[in-house]
Amino acid sequence: MLTRKLFRTAWSYKAQFISMILMITLGMGMFLGFNMEWKTIEVDTGKFFDQTKYADYRLYSEKGFTKDDIKKISDIEGVDAATRYLSVNLDIKGEKNKSLALDVSEDFNVSTFVVTDGAEYDENGSGFWLSDKFAAANGYKTGDTLTLEFQGTEIGGEIVGLIKSGEHMICVADKNQMMPDYNTYGYAYISPKKLRSVLEEKIKSDFADELKKSNVPEEFIDDSIAKLFVTDYMLTEATDKAFAQINLISGLQKETLEDRVRDALGRTIMVTPKEDHVVCKESSGEATEGKTMGSVLPVLFLAIAILTMVTTMHRVATKEKTQIGTLKALGFKNRRILRHYTSYGLFIGIVGTALGMALGLGVCKAIMSEGGMMGTYFDMPDWDAAIPFFCYPVMAATIGLLTLISYLSVRRQLKGSAADALRPYTPKKMRKIFFERFRFWDRLRFGTKWNIRDLSRHKSRSAMTLFGIVGCMVLMVGGLGMRDTMSGFLELLDNDISNYTTKINLIDNADLKESKALCEELGGDWESLTGISLDGDTVTLDIISNPNSLLNVIDEDNNRISLGDDGVYLCLRLKDRANIGDEIEFSPYGSKDTYKAKVLGYNRSVMTESVTMSDALADRLGIDYSVSSVYTDKESGEIGSSDLISGKQDKAQLMDTFNSFVEIMDGMVVILVIAAALLGIVVLYNLGTMSYLERSRELATLKVLGFRNRAIGRLLISQNIWLTFIGAAIGLPAGIGVLQWMIVSLAGEYEMKLMTGPLTYGISILLTFGVSLLVSLMVARKNRRIDMVEALKGAE
Amino acid sequence: MSIVQFKNVTRVYTSGEHELKALDNVSFSLDEGKFVVILGPSGAGKSTLLNLLGGLDSPTEGTITVNGRDISTLSDNELADYRAATVGFVFQFYNLIPTLTVYENVELVSSIAPDASDAKQMIAEVGLSDHLHNFPSELSGGEQQRVSIARALAKNPKILLCDEPTGALDSETGVMVLKLLLGMAKNYGKTIVIVTHNQSIAKMADVVIRVKNGKIREKYEQKEPLSADEVEW
Repeated sequence: MLTRKLFRTAWSYKAQFISMILMITLGMGMFLGFNMEWKTIEVDTGKFFDQTKYADYRLYSEKGFTKDDIKKISDIEGVDAATRYLSVNLDIKGEKNKSLALDVSEDFNVSTFVVTDGAEYDENGSGFWLSDKFAAANGYKTGDTLTLEFQGTEIGGEIVGLIKSGEHMICVADKNQMMPDYNTYGYAYISPKKLRSVLEEKIKSDFADELKKSNVPEEFIDDSIAKLFVTDYMLTEATDKAFAQINLISGLQKETLEDRVRDALGRTIMVTPKEDHVVCKESSGEATEGKTMGSVLPVLFLAIAILTMVTTMHRVATKEKTQIGTLKALGFKNRRILRHYTSYGLFIGIVGTALGMALGLGVCKAIMSEGGMMGTYFDMPDWDAAIPFFCYPVMAATIGLLTLISYLSVRRQLKGSAADALRPYTPKKMRKIFFERFRFWDRLRFGTKWNIRDLSRHKSRSAMTLFGIVGCMVLMVGGLGMRDTMSGFLELLDNDISNYTTKINLIDNADLKESKALCEELGGDWESLTGISLDGDTVTLDIISNPNSLLNVIDEDNNRISLGDDGVYLCLRLKDRANIGDEIEFSPYGSKDTYKAKVLGYNRSVMTESVTMSDALADRLGIDYSVSSVYTDKESGEIGSSDLISGKQDKAQLMDTFNSFVEIMDGMVVILVIAAALLGIVVLYNLGTMSYLERSRELATLKVLGFRNRAIGRLLISQNIWLTFIGAAIGLPAGIGVLQWMIVSLAGEYEMKLMTGPLTYGISILLTFGVSLLVSLMVARKNRRIDMVEALKGAE
Repeated sequence: MSIVQFKNVTRVYTSGEHELKALDNVSFSLDEGKFVVILGPSGAGKSTLLNLLGGLDSPTEGTITVNGRDISTLSDNELADYRAATVGFVFQFYNLIPTLTVYENVELVSSIAPDASDAKQMIAEVGLSDHLHNFPSELSGGEQQRVSIARALAKNPKILLCDEPTGALDSETGVMVLKLLLGMAKNYGKTIVIVTHNQSIAKMADVVIRVKNGKIREKYEQKEPLSADEVEW
């Protein structure tokens, strides 16, 4: 019988019940959605890494690795599997601005791929296994032929399979590209046998060139002659040099592995753990970013929902007081009544949480699915949503808490005898408030006094309304501000840091003299990126020569730095490593040399953790380096071919990838802002309705006295507008604070400076006021239907 | 001269398929400056009658003319203006605004009534000058009802409508409040209509209307009404 009463009571308080369920749904949905997002990244990428045997460590050597080297590495205790590996960026013949990373994994037990269409991997195969996303974006299919340009020679073959690879799960050309762009860049694998034949062709072609240079008539230079001169030794040497990388699977600590590699090979080798590899680094960075987002804003959602529930449940319980008294008078035991009313909270908790789970899954899928926002970022086969374990206790605790809230609200009404419980709820007596001691009080209009005293009389309701508005504002400023900051950062990158038109990537270990000559010819700036060890951590040494200000370095305040020649600059992420004036010591990988340099200042690095210095200082210290990229204001078409050039990227193209990244951020911000507005509407409507019901007797009295509906509506609206004003005034700085906190939390990934504009503040204030006004009007409209006669019956 | 005229007034309330005729073809008129008591048991229709007269409700059929104006067809806003200017209410449970002080509760009406009296003077007349800045919850029931009377009269209405004004008070306080109410109404020349089931109050009235089952059973004038002190309570 009481169960029937539960549903009927729920129906009679439908506005409150629906509001409470919606609030929990929204709160839980946002909380679960954003937390599921990062967990899904962790689980699905982890699964894909396992599936494709993503390497735990990568060893790099400019000289390459021999068969003997790989055997020694494989024999190291603690190394489970190892392969010689090659990954080189090559242009596609006949296609403008399209390039591929061509990979070869000698032993297909490490750094492999999964085939989505076509033939399985064959170590003796002669075709290409091409990225399925690149194929889809460019209209390639199995059976088509593909030709790549490799230092003057061509690598051609049939596309035998379409694949996905863990090594290229985030398929970017280099660390400076933020988002994959499959229209212009992808990856492909060939077998080691195919690599050997390519190298053989390359040796023959180089040999033929040499013959031509030696004035040997062309009719004598044919394939069979060249073939005679290609020895196994030459081929092995070329292969060894090509395999500049060893990928291995091992659970060893980095330091231990470094020691064992050094002992095994007799030289220091640059060991990069997977955490420093762009794919793992970016995906775990994305998960960290998700965790940061998930730990602030959605928690705020849930907190607002739960706190508002406290007030609402208390009000429902007070409204039910006489019914509670009736049940008590009928002989129902307190325990049974408590159980009955407590089940209200349990019901709301279970329904709200269940709907929240569905909403959370929807939010997660909107972000993390092949067709979702992250669909362009991650290239992996499985997109199964995963939920962090702590969400289960949070869900259980929320249901428990809601049940407890009901329990406590009802227990309060059950105190005393049945006669006490039968008496209607008496609101708190009115006392003079703080402001009444001041003179200005007497000059206030009655409506103002009425509203101020009402706010003070119903403190918890007022506080919850204020909390709801502050929360709404924080979520909007936080969400929109994050987008501003990200866009501002990209604008900074576009206008202040990168002034070039084309970035030219040079081949590994390009000759320094020739590189500088090329740079001079193009009137450009250049940059050299080398891995160094700083206090045992792998960071990038960024040597820059920028006389033409095409590539710039900026400081903490986003002002350009003119690089001094007597010291280095640490990126902001390394700020805690040394003070200005201190000396740091670092060692380039693959070298036993250590260098010392004074810290001149700190710079804002775009992507990598780096130590930046001028070329003059690098030369003075005697650091051995090669130019990685040349930056020029010439269009890519104007740049002639050169053996030094491995690829060219238009700045516009690079910026497009950044903009795609901002689009993802936009999507998340839209979800957040819509959810914030919805939550604001639900919270304010619920509390507004409560306020209206609590004051219905007073409103009816005003109506009886002769106040018009509009005047009474104004009274109701003005209270909400005041609260919105106060809420916005608190919410704006609070939102900026939360944003700042998020930026600090994300500092490990991006060196961003908080950049929010008046537009964000304006939109946030406007939306918050809009929500508040909308809800106030909705509530004020109820006033028209107030039954004066009914409302005036009985004592307060 | 008639200040109130009910002509064939019917008020039907519908609840689902059920219809309840609270007033059934009622016609009567009241003269200005009279003290009228409407008597009847619970559910007789007396409160409906008062609500229609006060502009809180509109008749299903018939016309109600107050001070020469038909109020049965007024819009919401026109009814609000009518209530603000023409009638003053005193309720059984006082209906003061709990978040306003005594002074503010009375002063409140000055913003809507076109011919409002001075709030402080009205409060002085009900003997509550010492409680100007008290909240209703700090006053006794009798004191609250006195504030309610001051508020009703501060609008300077033509008619004072009272719904069981002593119903929530003990008899001694009730008599005191009634004396005050009648005294002030007389002083200011107001027509006063009290709805009650208390027969004793009827002995003080100039006109008594008895209502039962939505119809007027009896309407009579008393040539020599008793004073409050003469009535046996």
